[in-house]
Amino acid sequence: MHQLGGIIIKKYGITIILAVVLIVLSVWSLFIGVLDVNLSGILHGDMEQLEIFLISRLPRLLAILCTGVGMSVAGLIMQQLCMNKFVSPTTGATISSAQFGILLALLFMPKSTLWGRALFAFVFAIAGTWIFVWFIQRIQFKDAVMVPLVGIMFGNVITGVTNYFAYKYEMSQALSTWLVGHFSMVLRGRYELVYLVVPLVIIAFLFANHFNIVGMGKDFSKNLGVHYNAVLFMGLSIAAAITASVVVVVGSISYIGLIVPNLVAMFKGDKIRGTLVDTALFGSIFVLVCDMIGRAVIAPYELPIELIIGIVGSIVFIGMLLYRLNHGRKAIRLGGAGNSPCASAISTVKGEDGK
Amino acid sequence: MNHAAVRANQRKLVILAVIVLLCAAGFMFYAVNFGNPKLFRYAMKLRTPKLVVMLITAFAIAGASLVFQTIINNVIVTPCLLGMNALYSLIHTAVVFVAGSTSLLATNSNLAFAVDLVLMAIVATIVYSFLFEKTHHNVLYILLIGTVLTSFFSSIQTTMTRIMDPNEYDSLLETLVASFENVNAEVIVASLVVLAAVIFFLRKDLALLDVISLGKDQAINLGVDYDRCIRRLLLSVTLCIAVATAMVGPISFLGLIMANLSRQFLRTYRHSQLILGSTLFGMAILIGGELIVERIYHYAVPISVFIGVFGGLYFLYLLLTNKRV
Amino acid sequence: MMNVKNLIKKYDGKTVVDSVSFDIPKGKVTSLIGPNGAGKSTVMGVISRLISRDGGEVTFQDQDISRWKSKELAKRLAILTQTNNIQMKLTVRELVTFGRFPYSGGRNTKEDEEIIDQALAYMELEDIQDQFIDELSGGQRQRAYIAMVIAQDTEYVLLDEPTNNLDIYHASNMMKIVRRLCDELGKTVILVLHEINYAAFYSDYICAFKDGKICKFGTVEEVMTKENLSEIYKVDFEIMEIEGRPLSIYY
Repeated sequence: MHQLGGIIIKKYGITIILAVVLIVLSVWSLFIGVLDVNLSGILHGDMEQLEIFLISRLPRLLAILCTGVGMSVAGLIMQQLCMNKFVSPTTGATISSAQFGILLALLFMPKSTLWGRALFAFVFAIAGTWIFVWFIQRIQFKDAVMVPLVGIMFGNVITGVTNYFAYKYEMSQALSTWLVGHFSMVLRGRYELVYLVVPLVIIAFLFANHFNIVGMGKDFSKNLGVHYNAVLFMGLSIAAAITASVVVVVGSISYIGLIVPNLVAMFKGDKIRGTLVDTALFGSIFVLVCDMIGRAVIAPYELPIELIIGIVGSIVFIGMLLYRLNHGRKAIRLGGAGNSPCASAISTVKGEDGK
Repeated sequence: MNHAAVRANQRKLVILAVIVLLCAAGFMFYAVNFGNPKLFRYAMKLRTPKLVVMLITAFAIAGASLVFQTIINNVIVTPCLLGMNALYSLIHTAVVFVAGSTSLLATNSNLAFAVDLVLMAIVATIVYSFLFEKTHHNVLYILLIGTVLTSFFSSIQTTMTRIMDPNEYDSLLETLVASFENVNAEVIVASLVVLAAVIFFLRKDLALLDVISLGKDQAINLGVDYDRCIRRLLLSVTLCIAVATAMVGPISFLGLIMANLSRQFLRTYRHSQLILGSTLFGMAILIGGELIVERIYHYAVPISVFIGVFGGLYFLYLLLTNKRV
Repeated sequence: MMNVKNLIKKYDGKTVVDSVSFDIPKGKVTSLIGPNGAGKSTVMGVISRLISRDGGEVTFQDQDISRWKSKELAKRLAILTQTNNIQMKLTVRELVTFGRFPYSGGRNTKEDEEIIDQALAYMELEDIQDQFIDELSGGQRQRAYIAMVIAQDTEYVLLDEPTNNLDIYHASNMMKIVRRLCDELGKTVILVLHEINYAAFYSDYICAFKDGKICKFGTVEEVMTKENLSEIYKVDFEIMEIEGRPLSIYY
């Protein structure tokens, strides 16, 4: 019995720790801000404080959580489906395509609502991701890092075209809101679209095994009776839709989809279902911490979260690349290669018994 | 190369030079009122510094790109793709950040330029030597990490700008980072001095470029003091990039376009001809492009947007067709 | 004269060359052989100053190679490695011209041009001297590089796996060229070779490496025995004699 408990703690230990950390940080973040809001004030029915809490603080927290969960899960799905650890909404042209969609919405339907723009962003993000994946599947790459390089440049070209139209039709001011991601405009009534992330992540969770199989390759999935193309395109569309709904509400948030799944996989291995929850939890902690830093540095002003993530994320990404270059090319992983977390947990437990 | 080929290339270079002259004349004299001396002088006063800045920029970026490509022995990498110009913008911002936006360093552009150059020479040499060493000269990793470094440097730079002035960071950014709409003509003389000094003090190393392009082993075999020479050449690259960025701000793909057009056009290994050709291509692109931007788009779309789109496509083309990546 | 004494080279803390000492016989062809990872190419790199060492001495004409001026050394010792990937548009003649660089510094005299012509003629490259290097076949390209080494006019020539990536016809031609460099031009040639029988047939001395150390060093006849080769490669060997030279058969 004692041993079983040990296994459970070993298996779910990280998940439990992540969940606790996330809850503590979330509660703490609710009480940071320009205006003073404290627990006793809300409990004593201070209407003004309650209003700030409901209009600004709570929506912001929810938006942050959805962003963190959504972007990291989107990245995980894309990496799994493309069999490449460096594919993500940032390195797969998804974010830049969504921005292009938003620009076209602003251009052709100036009076469009948030939902109208979101529709454009959805369509373009999905199309851009499909085109990119179709493209990289047709080319033999000698090294897996070629894929993110091509993806970033592809994204740069799309961003360039977006800039062209933005300058030409004097929309650059309006577009800049969607270029640098930030949470300062998240208020009640303007952010609810980001909740779309929740059902999409649930669908992703239900199909996790299918994504795993498709990630093993076309022949492998055919052998198991899984419809390769259908699952591939469905998975990519889910990832793109998640990304688009985040971009429409908070703007471009890079690197999360790239680094969070990789960091989690270092500790937990590659199986999507086993890591999905951890990835989601860790992603939201990451975004939350970055947001809190952004709010603390020049309070009462705040820095856009994209800047903080741009700094932290690029350092982590460079570290990952150098690690991969110097420690084998197959995977970025600290634990034993190929071991499922469960198996390694059992072996460690046995080892302790032996002593 | 036999003499016929050398002469053929010289002819090609002359043709390029003529095109550059035509572009320059168009840029200077298009829609100028020759009849009114006062208006004429005014137009010249506005246009001359911009033209000079573009000429110097083209030379600085051409030299830096070709020298850099030879150092790392690959033709699809340029210093700007690796974020060297973003690093310069960051250094400049950091200097103003530390010294304060009302200090002498922020108001005297030549003094700031001198400080930036020294810092740039030190920091860039360390960062990029470290990058080459850590990646074991693996070009793909250098490129990818360089691309990420670009966003790293510019994120820090924007953050600093926002911290300095949370309300008016846009206008502060404009004074800190030059662009083609807002060229920094105050450092023209200083830039020319720097470029002349680089050419003079490193003339012996620059003469070795042809040999170095044979690769490290062959260069050492032929008696080149390789490591020292590479260090000095890298220094010249950082200074050239600093000059270009100080005057017109970061433009990522220009060097790549110029250097490879020159290689395809001249088909030679001689760096004297390659650098000259690349400079002329750069001048033609910048001046011709600026002419188009000003007269057709009426200043609405900056030239950097065009360079970004076409440069990105050109880079993808080179990356996907290059056998050696 | 070239002497190597207690040479040590480590990569990431792992010793790949472990106190190797030998003297290179002057005016002869010496082949370095051994299994993969035995350290033969590393030794070649160190004695040609391409790779830095972690200990020991490499003396060339009574002076340590690290104390030679690079340019002076380039007039006495030439090295050709396998990593010759030139991205430049370079013709055969231009490549050979680079061989004169240590002497002329890029401005060739009439005498330099004559030496270049001779080198091209010696390698029978006159007809293709204006073709670009990247448009040649593997054998032609290798010959162009050898011509450059000839133009460099050095006493010592070091070749790192010159037969690599060549088919049998071009590989044996290459080995004949190596022999001529020694016999006709009086050069001291040191090669790294994978193919034992080329070493046995075309060289005077063989230096066999195993696990970073010299396993056997001597004339071809001394090294090419059944016992020695089995010890070096851990495979069974038979030795036959063809044209008075020992050749090995392994299976």
